[in-house]
Amino acid sequence: MEKIKIILDINDMPEEVEISSNDTLLEVLRDQLDLTGSKESCGEGACGSCTIHMDGKPVRSCLTLALEAEGAKIKTVEGLADGDQLTDLQQSFIDHGAVQCGFCTSGMLMSADALLKDNPKPDKTQIKKALAGNICRCTGYTKIIKAVAHAGNPREDCPDCQHDNKQKE
Amino acid sequence: MRLPKFEYIGPETLEQALDLLAQHKDDAKILAGGTDLLVRMKKGLLQPKVLISLKGLNELSYIKEDHDDEDGDTICIGSRTPLADIIASDFIQTHAVALSTACEKVGAVTLQHYRGTIGGNILQDTRCHHYNQSAFHRSGRQPCHKNGGKICYARDEADRCYSTCQSDGATALMALNAKLVLVSKGNERTVNLADFYTADGMMPFAMESHELLKKIIIPKTFTTSAYKRLAYRSAIDYPIVCAAVSLKTSGTTAGTKIDEARVVVGAMGRSPLYFAQASSGLKGKDITDKDAFHAAAVQAMNSAEAFAVHNAGSTLEYRCIMVEQMVFRALEEAIQSGSV
Repeated sequence: MEKIKIILDINDMPEEVEISSNDTLLEVLRDQLDLTGSKESCGEGACGSCTIHMDGKPVRSCLTLALEAEGAKIKTVEGLADGDQLTDLQQSFIDHGAVQCGFCTSGMLMSADALLKDNPKPDKTQIKKALAGNICRCTGYTKIIKAVAHAGNPREDCPDCQHDNKQKE
Repeated sequence: MRLPKFEYIGPETLEQALDLLAQHKDDAKILAGGTDLLVRMKKGLLQPKVLISLKGLNELSYIKEDHDDEDGDTICIGSRTPLADIIASDFIQTHAVALSTACEKVGAVTLQHYRGTIGGNILQDTRCHHYNQSAFHRSGRQPCHKNGGKICYARDEADRCYSTCQSDGATALMALNAKLVLVSKGNERTVNLADFYTADGMMPFAMESHELLKKIIIPKTFTTSAYKRLAYRSAIDYPIVCAAVSLKTSGTTAGTKIDEARVVVGAMGRSPLYFAQASSGLKGKDITDKDAFHAAAVQAMNSAEAFAVHNAGSTLEYRCIMVEQMVFRALEEAIQSGSV
């Protein structure tokens, strides 16, 4: 089957890729562009580890054809941080120890980032709902939810921050 | 998991899409959000030669108020409208809250709501625990009816496929008495959603391969509606039983009465099941008459039993018993949330 040349707008950079019609966006991101932050786990849309943003909305890249993504603004977990400067959400994940094996983390970050753009101060129910499509098999949900709730809040407001605990010591 | 090979075509107008459908017929499948189709293709359940993408057809994505001679005021929804748009619509929330709730319950926010479309939700293929499996799983035994064989693993000595329609949207739309507008090259027809199903899981929809679902029409005849579902997890999973009801009420000095009711049970049969007896039993009853609700719910449960087979997780007995609960709770919620 012949290859098709398309230009994808990924993390604000135009990337020219040669793809087959049956390549998913996830395959193109990981195999051609070395953006391996997005993970493939179930491959059928049940787990959420491949979540990316298309035009600001969280979608499953394993169930999106690369061809369908042409013309959309795509953002992967690599595009969250500004160079070495982590976003508040990413820093909050570190501070709260919201990462165990880390396989679900990029998907969690993308879902949570989209939520925080719509609603900067979500309550627990809203966070749970927004992350309902992301599965963590280490089952460390409590810390993830806390991390999202406290993203961007001043550290002194958050009694769970490791940062704060160290200061107290 | 790799997708099998296919040719991808992205028409820019509805005309082009219909031409392509007429040309490729059975070889082609319509790609809207892809959250059902691509999973089936990955599992080797479908191998279309051509995928016709609706990406360029923005003309099929809208929610608007309309009027036609037969139904009076209606709600029109384009088939490619994303579920997220329906959930966010105040108009749908006001006039067809059952559909709004049903769409919200589909999959998960990141999974279906932005990519998944209402047309795709209605036209998702029927499902069965024995069929919706990987190629490796299915290779372990003889193919079932839906897989081209002559056996049914869900029901002994079944002569046809008993796979279940687990669409949330279709169940709600059936209660709202919706109609579908199907187009093909040079032709357009309107069909009641209730007449759209064949009762055979092999080919669940009464739709030709060159036809395309254009829009959904919901009459604004009902005062209130509600949707309730039961699933393993609140997100991602398909319902193992669900119910949708819509009520038309009128207030008098003696209280508010139900003039018309539609009770529909989903995820039990090969289509959403409309129960005429359970529905007509509610006619003329007061909206505070809980005994009438119970009677209708039991009636629906008894009727649903005949349709269900053991193919959607949990035990059949449990699913049947929960039909009563779902219908009763849906009726209660409709009364509470509605402007009655």
